Amino acid sequence: MKPRSLRVRLLLSAAVAVFLALAAAWLVMTVLFGRHIERRVQTDLVRDGMQLAANLSIGRDGLPLLNREPGDVRFGEPASGLYWQLTTPAGSLRSRSLWDQALPASKVVRAREWSTRSAGGPFEEQLLLVERVIRPDRDGPEVLIQLAIENKSLHEARREFGAELALFLLLLWVILSAASWSQVALGLRPLSRVRDALDALKRSPGERLAVAPAQEIEPLVRAINELADAREKDLVRARRRAADLAHALKTPLAAIAAQSRRARESGAHDAADGLDRAINAASAAVDRELARSRAAAIRASIGEVNSAALPAAEAVVGVVERAEFVAQVVFAVNVPPELVVPVAAEDLLELLGALIENAARYARRRVHIDGAESAEGRMLSVEDDGPGIDPGQMADALGRGARLDQAGGGHGLGLAIAQDLAEATGAQLQLARSELGGLKVTILWRKLTPG
Amino acid sequence: MRALIVEDEVAVADDLARALQAAGFVVEMARDGEDAWFKGSTEDYDVVVLDLGLPRLDGLSVLRRWRDENRLFPVIIVSARNDWTEKVAGIEAGADDYLGKPFEIVELVARVRGLVRRAGGRASSSIRIGNLVLDTHRMSATYAGRPVRLSQLEFRFLHYVAHQGGRAVSAGELAEHLYGTAETTDTNAIEALVVRLRRKIAPEAIETRRGFGYCLAGDSQ
Repeated sequence: MKPRSLRVRLLLSAAVAVFLALAAAWLVMTVLFGRHIERRVQTDLVRDGMQLAANLSIGRDGLPLLNREPGDVRFGEPASGLYWQLTTPAGSLRSRSLWDQALPASKVVRAREWSTRSAGGPFEEQLLLVERVIRPDRDGPEVLIQLAIENKSLHEARREFGAELALFLLLLWVILSAASWSQVALGLRPLSRVRDALDALKRSPGERLAVAPAQEIEPLVRAINELADAREKDLVRARRRAADLAHALKTPLAAIAAQSRRARESGAHDAADGLDRAINAASAAVDRELARSRAAAIRASIGEVNSAALPAAEAVVGVVERAEFVAQVVFAVNVPPELVVPVAAEDLLELLGALIENAARYARRRVHIDGAESAEGRMLSVEDDGPGIDPGQMADALGRGARLDQAGGGHGLGLAIAQDLAEATGAQLQLARSELGGLKVTILWRKLTPG
Repeated sequence: MRALIVEDEVAVADDLARALQAAGFVVEMARDGEDAWFKGSTEDYDVVVLDLGLPRLDGLSVLRRWRDENRLFPVIIVSARNDWTEKVAGIEAGADDYLGKPFEIVELVARVRGLVRRAGGRASSSIRIGNLVLDTHRMSATYAGRPVRLSQLEFRFLHYVAHQGGRAVSAGELAEHLYGTAETTDTNAIEALVVRLRRKIAPEAIETRRGFGYCLAGDSQ
């Protein structure tokens, strides 16, 4: 099974490739070293052979004679591993190291040049043997000069070299693997930056990846940004369609309401009641869906937005105070002109609209809209002197999973919509009993604590 | 009473027409924006019920054209687009009320009646007290030439005080007049109303005469 981590995969493949290359290098270098020392030994043997040839003469009995033996002491020690032998048809002259043994006779060599071969030795060792035929006197017999050295020392040198080289190459392998680890880490660093940027993108679809930290990553960053653009456009389109659909449903609902009225006029009260109930349920669902799609749009909105609270509150009051049902309600707007809240202007209108209209609907005489900025954060509150919500139900109303539109006091859908919107803008909606006697709804945007 | 219903959805338009006829209105219909604009520009209506999503010319544009032409009949917008941004735009374009679809026909009729009642039945169309001019027909005001949008309650407050010929009116009397009661909560509401009006118009527009009550700054004319 392939490892899932790109880092591990790259590291493993680098380690294996470097290992194979170093193993091949070890093999080649060991062979080359073997050949090199063989050539060196061969050269030494040939030099000794030339020395033998230079001091060679033929005795009267046809046997080879040496005026001076080669200087290497090993020629004098029995079975030392270094031997020479001079052979004429009349007999042989050998180094003392051969003792009573002889070098293997040459079967084929009659060459006038030095030749090299391997052969079994007199003391059950393998020998590297150089040999040549010379004729010291023009009329004299030919002399076969043979020099041999046991292979064991060569093998040992080769093994020692191989072991030391292997140790060194192993160290080199570790160093190269570490280097490739840091290379992989360095190479993957831009990807981890991209990953961080993607995390930010996941949190806020409005985010985009910054310019790529490396040229090679740039096409990827561009592709991701294009994908994010496309996704955001799709989201916006889907939400717009949902909103359009909800809006489009309202006119047919109004038409069905007309039918219901007609049915009621013609005496079909039960049918009209049924239709009215269905219309109310459908309109509530449509309003809720519109608020949800708005809340979703707020969550997905790009960048930081701020809008002034006072003009929004005044604009909403300007609309609400037109309604017949608020003919006796006084609106007190006490919002500092400099107060801005982290919501887009149109979303703030929706949020305040839901709350102020709600408050106005249940107020007896007064609706207060206050705003302030404190150490805790920025807040807006809407309160009325109406019947309010029972404190027990308040806790339920803001409990997780509770539906505010089922909360008591008739405050209904307005609170549910406001809660959706407030939460989408990162605010908390708090319910309390107002000093005026009714419900006090506070929207609180807490200050972000660093970290 | 003449009412113009501007609505392209036939079922809704018919329902509106029957309801308003039952309430005593003579009803005319317009099915698109151009037709509505023409009718509103050439005929006098006591109230207009205006849909926003209209063929040929949208409702907001129709309303702006009427107001630009100084056609000042009360207009209630009835729209499927129930956003507050739309509502604010509607009111700022000169609508007098806004009702989202689907609506209770009873509520619509009540609101239409309210608009007509507020706009009609006054011979004089304006009262001037100092810098303040009250337009009794539009239930609006200007202060030193600057338009001030008023709620019904605010207008009724100013209208009542303006008719007292410079006499200071107590919070209790105002509560009695505006609410029909004079409990503490009602007099508190009157104080809040004065604060709001001073903020909307000008701090010096309403004077407090300690121990007596409120009066408008400037001579009654």
